[in-house]
Amino acid sequence: MSKKSSLGRQKIPIEKILKKSHLQVTFSKRRSGLFKKVSELCTLCGVEIAIVVFSPADKAFSFGHPEVESILDRYLTRNPPPESSAHQLVEAHRNANVRDLNVQLTQLLNHLEIEKKQGEEIEQARKVRQSQFWWESPIDELALNELVQLKGSIEELKKNMGKFANKCIIEQSNASSSNMGGVNGFGRYDSFDNKFGLGINIVPTHPNAYYLGFRNGYL
Amino acid sequence: MTRKKVKLAFIENNTARKSAYNKRKKSLVKKVDELTALCGIDACAIIYGPYDAQPEIWPSPSGVQEVLSKFMTVPEVEQSRKMMNQESFLKQRISKSEKQLQKQRRDNREKETTMHMFRCLNAGNIVQNSMSVGDLNDLSWMIDHNLRAIGRRMESDDRENIIHQSPPPPPPPTAPNNNEIAMMGHGHAGMAMNNNDLIQSQMFMDMGMNGYE
Repeated sequence: MSKKSSLGRQKIPIEKILKKSHLQVTFSKRRSGLFKKVSELCTLCGVEIAIVVFSPADKAFSFGHPEVESILDRYLTRNPPPESSAHQLVEAHRNANVRDLNVQLTQLLNHLEIEKKQGEEIEQARKVRQSQFWWESPIDELALNELVQLKGSIEELKKNMGKFANKCIIEQSNASSSNMGGVNGFGRYDSFDNKFGLGINIVPTHPNAYYLGFRNGYL
Repeated sequence: MTRKKVKLAFIENNTARKSAYNKRKKSLVKKVDELTALCGIDACAIIYGPYDAQPEIWPSPSGVQEVLSKFMTVPEVEQSRKMMNQESFLKQRISKSEKQLQKQRRDNREKETTMHMFRCLNAGNIVQNSMSVGDLNDLSWMIDHNLRAIGRRMESDDRENIIHQSPPPPPPPTAPNNNEIAMMGHGHAGMAMNNNDLIQSQMFMDMGMNGYE
C-alpha cells in the first residue's frame, strides 16, 4: 500500500545516458553530490582543490578551495602559492568562517533528521488510526455518504470548539483579575493578557488569522 | 562501504586523516569519471594534497589543459555565476537544509493537528492535553480546512452525478454512549457501507452533544 516516491538507489551502467531528461536530472544530482564530496574532502583533510564541470548545456560549474582562480593560477603557472603574513591572516579568518558554517550545517542536519524521524512516527500512527477508523482516511478516498456523515461530525466538533473557546476566555478574564500567570489547561501559554482574547478567532471573521496561527504554531 | 556518520571537521589524527584522504580522493576521481561518462560532458579535477608537492589531476595533463582552456574562454560573468568556494557552498547547503527543515516541521505539524482533530472528534469533546493558543488556532483552522475540502469533494461529485446516494437515515434517538471503544468497533475502513454501519456511525455524530462538560 505504501507508494514509493522514487526508485531509490539503482545500479546503472556507466555509459552515456540516452534519454535527455534522464541525463539532465542525473547531471544535476551528481554534480551536486560531487561538490558535496569535494567540500567534505576539503573540510576533513584540509586539501586545496579545484573542480571544473561543464553541464550538458555547456554551462560552467566550478568549485575551488580556497578559490577556483587561485588553484587554477597555481596549476597553470606552476608557482607555489604566496605565503605572505597578510595572506595567512586572510586564510585563517576564512577557515574560521568555514568551521563555523560546518558546525551550523551539522546542527541543521541533525535537527532535520530528528524531524524526519518524527514524521515517520506520525505517519505510522496515522496509518494505524486509518485502519481502525474509516473516517480518518483522506477525504478523496471517502464515498459520498461517508463524507456527509463526516461533515456532520466535524460541524458538531466546530460547535464544541466555539463553546470551549468561550469557556476559556471567561476563565481567563477571571484569572487575570487576580493577575495570576498560567491557567490550568494552558500549560504552554503563561503570559495572559489581551493577546489571549485576540488570539482566539474561533468564529471566522478573518480567515487569514487561521493561516497565520497555523504557520506560527511551530517556528 | 562503511556507513558511519563522519563529523564535518578537520581530522586531527594524522593516520586517520591520511587514510580518509586516500579513500576519498579515489572515490572523488571515480565520481568525476562517472559524471563525464554518463552525461557526456567535460570536466577536470586538480587536487593539491598535503603529502605531495605535485597535484593529483584528472583526467590527464592534456585533458585538464583542454577543459581549462574551454573554461578560460567563458566570459568572467558566466564563470563566476556558478563558481563556488567552501563558504558559498556551505551557505547554500545551509539554506537548502533550512527550507527542508521548515517544510518537514510544517508537514509534521499539519499531521499532528489532524490527528488532534480526530481525537477530539472521536471523543466528542475537546481533548485538552495542554493546548496553547497556537494549538487552538491550528485546530480551528484544520476543522475549517476539512470542511472546505469535503465541500469541494461533494460539489464535484454532485456535478459528476455518478453516485446516487440514498439520503442517510434520520438520526436515531440520542444514545448516551460516550464509550469511545464501543464506537470504534463499528468502524470500517472501506467503502462497503450497509445500513447497519450507517446507523452505528451516526452515533458519534450525536456524541458531540453529550461530550461537553
